[in-house]
Amino acid sequence: MSIFIDQNTKVCVQGITGKEGSFWTKHMIELGTQVLCGVTPGKEGQFIEGKPVYNSVKKAVEHHDIDASMLFVPPKLTKDAVMEALDAGIKKVVTIADGIPLHEMVLIRQAAKEHNAMVVGGNTSGVISPKLAMMGSFPHWIERVYKKGNIGVMTRSGSLTNEVTAMIVAAGYGVSTLIGVGGDPVPGTRFAEFLPLYEADEETEAIVIIGELGGTMEEEVADAIKEGILTKPLVAFLGGRTAPKGQKMGHAGAIISGGKGSVEDKIKALTEVGALVAERPRLVGKLLEQLNVPKK
Amino acid sequence: MKLYEYQAKNVFSKAGIKIPKSVLIEKNEELENALIEIGVPCVVKSQVLSGGRGKAGLVKFTKTKEEATLETKRLFEHELNIKKILIEEAVNIEKEIYVSMTVDPYLGTGLLIVSAEGGIDIETLAVTQPDKIIKEPIDLRYGLMPFQASRVAYSLNQPKVVTKALIKLFLNLYNVFKKYDAELVEINPLFITKDLEVIAGDGKLMIDDNSMFRQPEFEKGQSDYKSVAEFEAAKEGIPFIEFDGDIGLMCAGAGLTTTVYDLIHYEGGTIANYLEFGGPHYKKAVKAMEICLKVPSKVILIVTFGTIARADVMAEGIVEAINRLKPDRPIVTCIRGTNEQEAVKILRAAGLQPLFDTEEAVRKAVEIAKGGTQ
Repeated sequence: MSIFIDQNTKVCVQGITGKEGSFWTKHMIELGTQVLCGVTPGKEGQFIEGKPVYNSVKKAVEHHDIDASMLFVPPKLTKDAVMEALDAGIKKVVTIADGIPLHEMVLIRQAAKEHNAMVVGGNTSGVISPKLAMMGSFPHWIERVYKKGNIGVMTRSGSLTNEVTAMIVAAGYGVSTLIGVGGDPVPGTRFAEFLPLYEADEETEAIVIIGELGGTMEEEVADAIKEGILTKPLVAFLGGRTAPKGQKMGHAGAIISGGKGSVEDKIKALTEVGALVAERPRLVGKLLEQLNVPKK
Repeated sequence: MKLYEYQAKNVFSKAGIKIPKSVLIEKNEELENALIEIGVPCVVKSQVLSGGRGKAGLVKFTKTKEEATLETKRLFEHELNIKKILIEEAVNIEKEIYVSMTVDPYLGTGLLIVSAEGGIDIETLAVTQPDKIIKEPIDLRYGLMPFQASRVAYSLNQPKVVTKALIKLFLNLYNVFKKYDAELVEINPLFITKDLEVIAGDGKLMIDDNSMFRQPEFEKGQSDYKSVAEFEAAKEGIPFIEFDGDIGLMCAGAGLTTTVYDLIHYEGGTIANYLEFGGPHYKKAVKAMEICLKVPSKVILIVTFGTIARADVMAEGIVEAINRLKPDRPIVTCIRGTNEQEAVKILRAAGLQPLFDTEEAVRKAVEIAKGGTQ
């Protein structure tokens, strides 16, 4: 099992005819993802990797039973593309675009909530269930990162995903599903909103979150543990512990604001509810062992 | 992008928000004319982007021309390299209010934040007296509705003429928030004068960086950057910050670079600069190293774990950068990701000793910075 996506998830790719779109569609299929079709306005009739291209998402869902839409669409066009997917009734959308205007991301988040849908991203690599399927741009062929296993991973950072997940794998573990929620200040879906899915997933036996300074997503995870929404063990790695206050460094979302969001606050919130926080990426595996998470 | 107070106030003024009469000066000689227009007492306000200007002595209330002259001179000579000073009329203040607009990432809305306790640090107030802060979510599809502005204004229990002015101000401020793709627009303090006028005492406007493409009005010039290196990095779109430590960072990805920054501190090292050359910039190794070399440092530490940004391409770029720029200081590399074995070969062939573990690379760099051998 896994969450959000597996070998049975039927995927449509918006922007499939672009350079990025066609490149990653090939890799998504290679991993086992069921990509059924693509959408690029004006390119209907073409085929990419043998999959038909349609002019609109609506037309795509008329011809195929679609569960999820993967967007390879530039940031300026992302809001429209997400709205199109939601309008067509799709409940899972992943956007990797880096540079979506802030106010548009707010509208995307709002629309997703109103449609009872999950929009993952932007500014992320997407979602991957190793050896099964992915929506996004992961180098799934790097075995020392994308190994199948029983750890659910969520991350705000693409580059840290490799660094931390490689350490999880080095410690003898693997990943059930890895979700990149993205590095922007307003992600479409937040860490805590995936926890019920991980909690229900039999394969996932522990969660690792890769967070950083800024925002309140890690604190919301602590709240979810306190409320009993997540009962599985959780280990966090948080970047930016020594970052200077008020300095924008790293992700746009990674700034301490409103008196909230320092790494100290996050560590306090998480440790108070029994989660463990690793000071260094290397220690994530050790802490999983400490929590008696079996190696699978 | 964060705007200066004078820029924010210009925007406010154009949007129909009252601001105190002021003159912007760039040298001491311009003060005389400014004072003819503004008169004394006046407020001498240095235009810097950091907060807490009052506490830092960068904003001064002056009663006489002599005092204003002295303060202006002192500020222009200040170590912060202040380039512009706003000479502003002193306002008869009856009350100060806090007003801002931002986004609420959780709700997926805009947010109007108001407090009758203006002039103080809102972050402190949020901790000590959260009930004194009014938060009104704004549906960005409809914008701030007049009934919302009215509801918030009436809850402040001000004289009718002030309440009316506040309603107008909230609506005008929303127009600024929307038009300028603001991450944050803040007036703290908002003055209510003894004559019951509502005037913006300060102005903060932060434009969302992802929206700068449609905000051509505000382009940064070289003088807006601390150094030539920062300006050049910004022109390339390369995230870069200069510090005054020993180790120059040239890493890929925001999260990883921030983590390497932490690890260096844990190991007792210091940072000369933060630089990201991952993502869309992964082929810019030569430019990135050129920028790093402009900053005094004892060693350059390169850490990447590339996904789309292939390790071998990065390694080639780094070797090219070394050949072209002939760096005068040691380079520590830790390049991983797609085609990492190939990357190791490329680096070895160029005479480097590539490392494969982030912490090991960090320790090596700290050791070199402390005078150890390469």
